[in-house]
Amino acid sequence: MNSPIARRIVKLAIAASMAAFASHPVLAQAQAPAGGAAAKRPAAATAKPRSAADARANPPWRPVTTYVPPRTPDGQPDIQGMYEPGYFNQPAETAVGGPWKPAAPKGGAQIGPTDFGARQAIDTDPTTPHVTPTNKPMVVDPPDGIVPMQPWVAAKRKEIYAKQEKPEFLDPRVRCLQSGVPRANTPVYYNSYQIMQKPGYVVIMYEWNHMTRIIPLDGRPHLDPKVRLPMGDSRGRWEGNTLVVDVTNFNDDSWVLGHGGIGEGQPAETATSGHGIVHSPELHVVERFTPIDKNIIRYEATIEDPKAFTRPFTIAFDAMVRGREDHQLFEYACHEGNRDGILMATGVDIDPSQK
Amino acid sequence: MVRTRVRPVRPVRITVRMTLTMTKAQATVVRGGLAAMAIAGAAWWTTATMDAQAPARRAQPQAPRRAYAGPRTPDGKPDLNGIWQVMGTAHWDLEAHSPEDGVPGGRSVVEGGEIPYKPEALAKRKENYVNRATADPLSKCYLPGVPRVTYVPLPFEITQTPKYVSIAYEIAHARRIIYTDGSPHVEALEFWMGDSRGRWEGDTLVVDTNNFNDKTWFDKSGNYHSEELHVVERYTPMGRNHIDYQVRIEDPKVFTRPWNMRMIIYRRLEPGLQLLDYDCVSFFWKKMIK
Repeated sequence: MNSPIARRIVKLAIAASMAAFASHPVLAQAQAPAGGAAAKRPAAATAKPRSAADARANPPWRPVTTYVPPRTPDGQPDIQGMYEPGYFNQPAETAVGGPWKPAAPKGGAQIGPTDFGARQAIDTDPTTPHVTPTNKPMVVDPPDGIVPMQPWVAAKRKEIYAKQEKPEFLDPRVRCLQSGVPRANTPVYYNSYQIMQKPGYVVIMYEWNHMTRIIPLDGRPHLDPKVRLPMGDSRGRWEGNTLVVDVTNFNDDSWVLGHGGIGEGQPAETATSGHGIVHSPELHVVERFTPIDKNIIRYEATIEDPKAFTRPFTIAFDAMVRGREDHQLFEYACHEGNRDGILMATGVDIDPSQK
Repeated sequence: MVRTRVRPVRPVRITVRMTLTMTKAQATVVRGGLAAMAIAGAAWWTTATMDAQAPARRAQPQAPRRAYAGPRTPDGKPDLNGIWQVMGTAHWDLEAHSPEDGVPGGRSVVEGGEIPYKPEALAKRKENYVNRATADPLSKCYLPGVPRVTYVPLPFEITQTPKYVSIAYEIAHARRIIYTDGSPHVEALEFWMGDSRGRWEGDTLVVDTNNFNDKTWFDKSGNYHSEELHVVERYTPMGRNHIDYQVRIEDPKVFTRPWNMRMIIYRRLEPGLQLLDYDCVSFFWKKMIK
């Protein structure tokens, strides 16, 4: 596992199996990082807000850091580099139905750390920094950690759970659609990131499905509302050392959160993943990327969509952790490799020449 | 980034003309496809800036005579940051072809005019042409490959740093990260977009790409390659807003000898322009699940 290429190949192989089993409950559970005690986190200069007065400007989940990143030639805080996925927890359990435990796998291979050797290798690689797992749900506001779905969104989610075998209820990501925002920033093992900066722009490149966000910083207005895009329309600005990105102009092809699937027969009310949480084109996301030290980017996103959610809600986690300098984003040709998945879901063979 | 206030002459003129030649109803019907039509229109409008059918003159690709005098990055390289697009008809057919329904006629961008296929490979290319409506990998929303991704009629955006030149393409959110840090190619892998390593030769960005699969085409007419494809692109800025784009294609399985294509890449000058993510896969699924 010393060669970066070998690491990437193992990772890609895992990605392929992840795509095939994205909705498998045990896999979803097995995605909980194996880092534990072995994971080390560089000392982060974070502290809680000192008084309730500035709680609004500095809510308790927001890091207060003394870290000052270097500057790019045009004076931006320099956050360029290679990043591995950090760590997140699903939203909190819902009250209805109580905590849900995945059933034991019915035969087949034992899913466990052995099958996730690459992740373990990354988690225990002494040459790279790590993020400390937490037990806090990703939803930090409202305080109960639950996504405040409108009734129709909850009902839609139920339907998605009940009809998983139908292509229109498949996870959009399994169909190789782009993740949308903020879902693109959910740390998952089959992803990694490269950030580049040029004068007036921050460019975030995701390995998964070769998604790229080119974020202008020049204060230009959002696109005409008639233009709807899978990854939305991003407008950024630096607030101190925090990159704040305002995202609008979405279509409704994506799900809000993720990752992790649901079990066969699991009641929708007990789902703790972002699986099946849809949104409307009115989705408006405000993201904050804060380098809390030289290695870790804390991510916060406030999600507003009055059609889909009863109130705005906020998620926060350490999304990105600096990877090795020789890390490379490989081509993740998701759709191109999905012929069998498409055949299975729709009965249509899009490429009979592939035997 | 330095933004120029120069008026975008050609694209605007085309759009106006296309609109004027249509009734209001027609304009409404084709509004969605207007950009594509404008580009097709551009193909008809464009005065060829080079004559690829003059093989004698163009046998040896030459760098432009005048030295580059445009803006530079802090590390002294020509500043290619920005949004670019190729005008022309290479996307439909690299070689000279007559106009037909939905396809603007075009002159060859291949130096010498014709692609030097081996006889058995030429048969395959002809078969591809016959089946092109469904056999074109783009019709399945597959990644376009290199160099086709450069001259599909959609723009792309360059992000240039000392170690990398990243190109994000509007089509299929395709992306290349070209390493300009002297790192070697990866070995024995196959990618739709290949593995790209670049270097600066003076003011020319030279990009060497290999590790391809055999599943992409060069154009809509069925010109193709094998997994032995080796592409060398030369991006030579002719000024701030134009790049002389020369490509050497080598594939001993399919061609009798290496061959070159050449075209011009234009900087898109419309203020506030951005890529608008032509996500073919999402359109594919909308058809699939109705």
